[in-house]
Amino acid sequence: MRQENIRNFSIIAHIDHGKSTLADRLLEETGALEKRELKEQTLDSMDIERERGITIKLNAVELFYQYQGNDYLLHLIDTPGHVDFSYEVSRSLAACEGALLVVDAAQGIEAQTLANLYLALEHDLTIIPVINKIDLPNADPERVKKELIDAIGFREDEFILTSAKTGQGIEELLQAIIERIPSPKGDEKEPLQALIFDSFFDSYRGVIISCRVVSGSISVGDTIRMMETKAEYVVTELGVTTPKEKKKQTLVAGDVGYIAASIKDIRDVQVGDTITLVKRPCKEPLPGYQPMKSMVFCGLFPIESSKFEDLREALDKLKLNDASLVFEPETSEALGFGFRTGFLGLLHMEIIEERIEREFGIEIIATSPSVVYEVELTDHTIVMVDSPSKLPDRANIFEIREPYIKTNIFTPSEYIGPIMELCQNKRGSYVGMEYLDQTRVNIHYQIPLSEIVYDFFDKLKSYTKGYASFDYELIGYQVSNLVKMDILLNGEVVDALSTIVHKDFAYNRGKAVVESLKELIPRQMFEVPIQASIGSKVIARTDIKALRKNVLAKCYGGDITRKRKLLEKQKEGKKRMKQIGSVEVPQEAFLAVLKMED
Amino acid sequence: MVESCYIHIPFCSHICSYCDFSKMYYHENWCKRYLIALEKEIDLYYQGEELSTIYIGGGTPSSLSLSELEQLFLILRKLKRKKDCEFTIECNVENITKEKLEFFLKEGVNRISIGVQSSHTKILKYLERPYTKEEIISVISLVKQVGFSNINVDLMYAIPIEREEDLEEDIIFFLNLDVPHISTYSLMIEDHTKLKNQNVKPISEETDFRMYHTIHQRLTSYGYKHYEISNFAKEGYASRHNLTYWRNQEYYGFGLGASGFVRNVRYENTKSFQEYERETYRKEEDTLSRQLDMENEIMLGLRTIEGISKEKFLKKYGCDLKGKYQIQDLLEKGYLKETNSSYYIPFSYWYLSNEIMLRFIGE
Repeated sequence: MRQENIRNFSIIAHIDHGKSTLADRLLEETGALEKRELKEQTLDSMDIERERGITIKLNAVELFYQYQGNDYLLHLIDTPGHVDFSYEVSRSLAACEGALLVVDAAQGIEAQTLANLYLALEHDLTIIPVINKIDLPNADPERVKKELIDAIGFREDEFILTSAKTGQGIEELLQAIIERIPSPKGDEKEPLQALIFDSFFDSYRGVIISCRVVSGSISVGDTIRMMETKAEYVVTELGVTTPKEKKKQTLVAGDVGYIAASIKDIRDVQVGDTITLVKRPCKEPLPGYQPMKSMVFCGLFPIESSKFEDLREALDKLKLNDASLVFEPETSEALGFGFRTGFLGLLHMEIIEERIEREFGIEIIATSPSVVYEVELTDHTIVMVDSPSKLPDRANIFEIREPYIKTNIFTPSEYIGPIMELCQNKRGSYVGMEYLDQTRVNIHYQIPLSEIVYDFFDKLKSYTKGYASFDYELIGYQVSNLVKMDILLNGEVVDALSTIVHKDFAYNRGKAVVESLKELIPRQMFEVPIQASIGSKVIARTDIKALRKNVLAKCYGGDITRKRKLLEKQKEGKKRMKQIGSVEVPQEAFLAVLKMED
Repeated sequence: MVESCYIHIPFCSHICSYCDFSKMYYHENWCKRYLIALEKEIDLYYQGEELSTIYIGGGTPSSLSLSELEQLFLILRKLKRKKDCEFTIECNVENITKEKLEFFLKEGVNRISIGVQSSHTKILKYLERPYTKEEIISVISLVKQVGFSNINVDLMYAIPIEREEDLEEDIIFFLNLDVPHISTYSLMIEDHTKLKNQNVKPISEETDFRMYHTIHQRLTSYGYKHYEISNFAKEGYASRHNLTYWRNQEYYGFGLGASGFVRNVRYENTKSFQEYERETYRKEEDTLSRQLDMENEIMLGLRTIEGISKEKFLKKYGCDLKGKYQIQDLLEKGYLKETNSSYYIPFSYWYLSNEIMLRFIGE
């Protein structure tokens, strides 16, 4: 296939705006999959993805389409739709010449979509605006069109209206892809430059790399080198996904395909890295590579301490497919042996926790998430701190800096007030606000990332009845007046409950945490004081009253079996608790800091 | 060896707001059919053992008419009784008559249990029990006059509308009834009861706990022995039938919704009248593993002042309690006491006995 007959594109869309269904429809229309082979939303391959309606792992598919007597090859590169994975999104966009901007005809554009759209524009991609779900009774394509024209500057005649559900507009869309998106321009004769935009682990073939060949060509038997990690391997298999795998001998400039090379260690394969050939290397890697950086850390501990090795195995297995997941052993006095684990963001963290419990059947306690602090010591050396327990002694600290973000909050204008109040409470400073149209605004604040890590999403949702959408970008570190707050149960510090907080907010947060723990920890056989302290100074205190009554009052012959079952149930409940000193603490308590009311 | 038998009579002339037992409104025709099915059940399962205790409970056994009671006791003659058999029947204040009592006495009943619950009009009304304080007094004296001395009365407390002074007055009233056995229950708001449906919330743990202690103090100072979590008796009047349960001994349970423990099987009868009449009596049957039986022995034994007998346990299960269970910590903290012959929970921790049992039985 000649390059002018190839089109590489992605789909940019908000959760629920119909990206996966649209992709399915494209697959169907081009005959890549028979209708009977289509599971609902073929591209989302993990259960969690399908349940949550989000795409986490990327996929690429090759589609054939005949148009005006010519054969065309279309590569659809799927992208994750969440801020946690925005670097991965930027790499897959870099593998394309064009993108479909899919917007729900009833809801209009959302924050994440706009952020990804800007990424696409940075890469000079041709954008085709698609208004989807026009079959919905409350669809208002004209309003959405106007919004997009006002906000982004599309022309009236650029829009394509579709219903992925009914198939309406799909053919027109395919034609627009061919007519508007430029073909790839790389030179086959140049040295090889292939962009890695994804990878996954296959237990037979090792790490499988998804890549876009930008220039040159690659064949089975070639020795390749990853320019960033310097790893070298011999290519054992090449191919494309249709979405079934189809082996090929060679991939050339413009192609999107996969490479297998018996790679055992996923760390050798970094998203954004450039692959070249050892015998004829390219001079420069492709631009835009960044090492993966964990933004959020938390401790993961098995409830049953005997499951520590199982947890390690689970993390190892997840790591095979997920280079961004990092972990190292951690010991907590309260929780025993576990792992300090780093994630790209909160969603990434939730997904990993859920997969450990669901796919590996290990019940875990996750401590409250922490960002990475930059601590300058009095001798002006700098240490990075990803856990409250690693914070150096106060006397040795010159200053602490914390990561800040800048927000894009898209909201109907009637919620501006509540959102500003929320952001102020989260230590935010106002940057500015833009009207997208008469009724919707984009609000910018600078907020410490650590505040987002708490309950920001939930609060934002409840403050705006779910109408606001939110996205952020990191803008670097700023000095903050931060202290470590400890929680004492029955007079003993529970290390797993320590947090780093802003001094001015410590009193309120301490009070909120002890109150929330009081609700979460059941009464014990003795009175248990709960205290929050900074250093040796107690800033908040409450008591859990002693348990007074837990008895099967009337226990007759009539109901011994039933009473016993009641007791069994209590026993099960106890199993889910962690014994800390002499106090039994339920799993949820370790996330108490997340759930408190302001 | 089965030596005890429970007979359930599900009929009531009215339904109390807190009751979650197997019960139905009294109806002459249904009662007739019920007694026929009951006889068939006894014929099917009873194997002729001599019984030391029989207990007729409900529902309200005394809601049956004299002729129905005659028919019931005719059936019960099939049950062989030891000479000193303890034979109890539950009665309600509103439907006890001299004739019925004399009939019970003639049939060998020697223990009467009366659901008094409270002496306060407002509380009785709340519980939907249709009698007055005066009627209680006259019924008790009638029972005594007919010739019964082994009498139990039920006392209920922790009722949402009850004040602690109300309970104090109730205790004095109950002491004045001068009967040798008092059962006390803290009101539980169970599922599928009128109270639960009205979304009634229980009183605070603290008040409940104080009430329990008040009852304990008053009754024990008047010579009652607090021999089980909810039971008080004068010397020699502990309920032998109920001790069967707490000693983890076997017993028949006959009737709608009754449960029993026979030849190592714990079973529960259906609560559906139609099913019962079709002679599909048993709804659930669990053959007990040794482990489960041991745990029952502990759970039940720890309810009583006598506790778990070391010797009996060793004989029954061939193992030593201390070797089998991690109880050192409980002993050190005083939640559990040890004597030469037994383990028991001291009274002060009875109200937390679930917590202690769970720690005792452990994983």
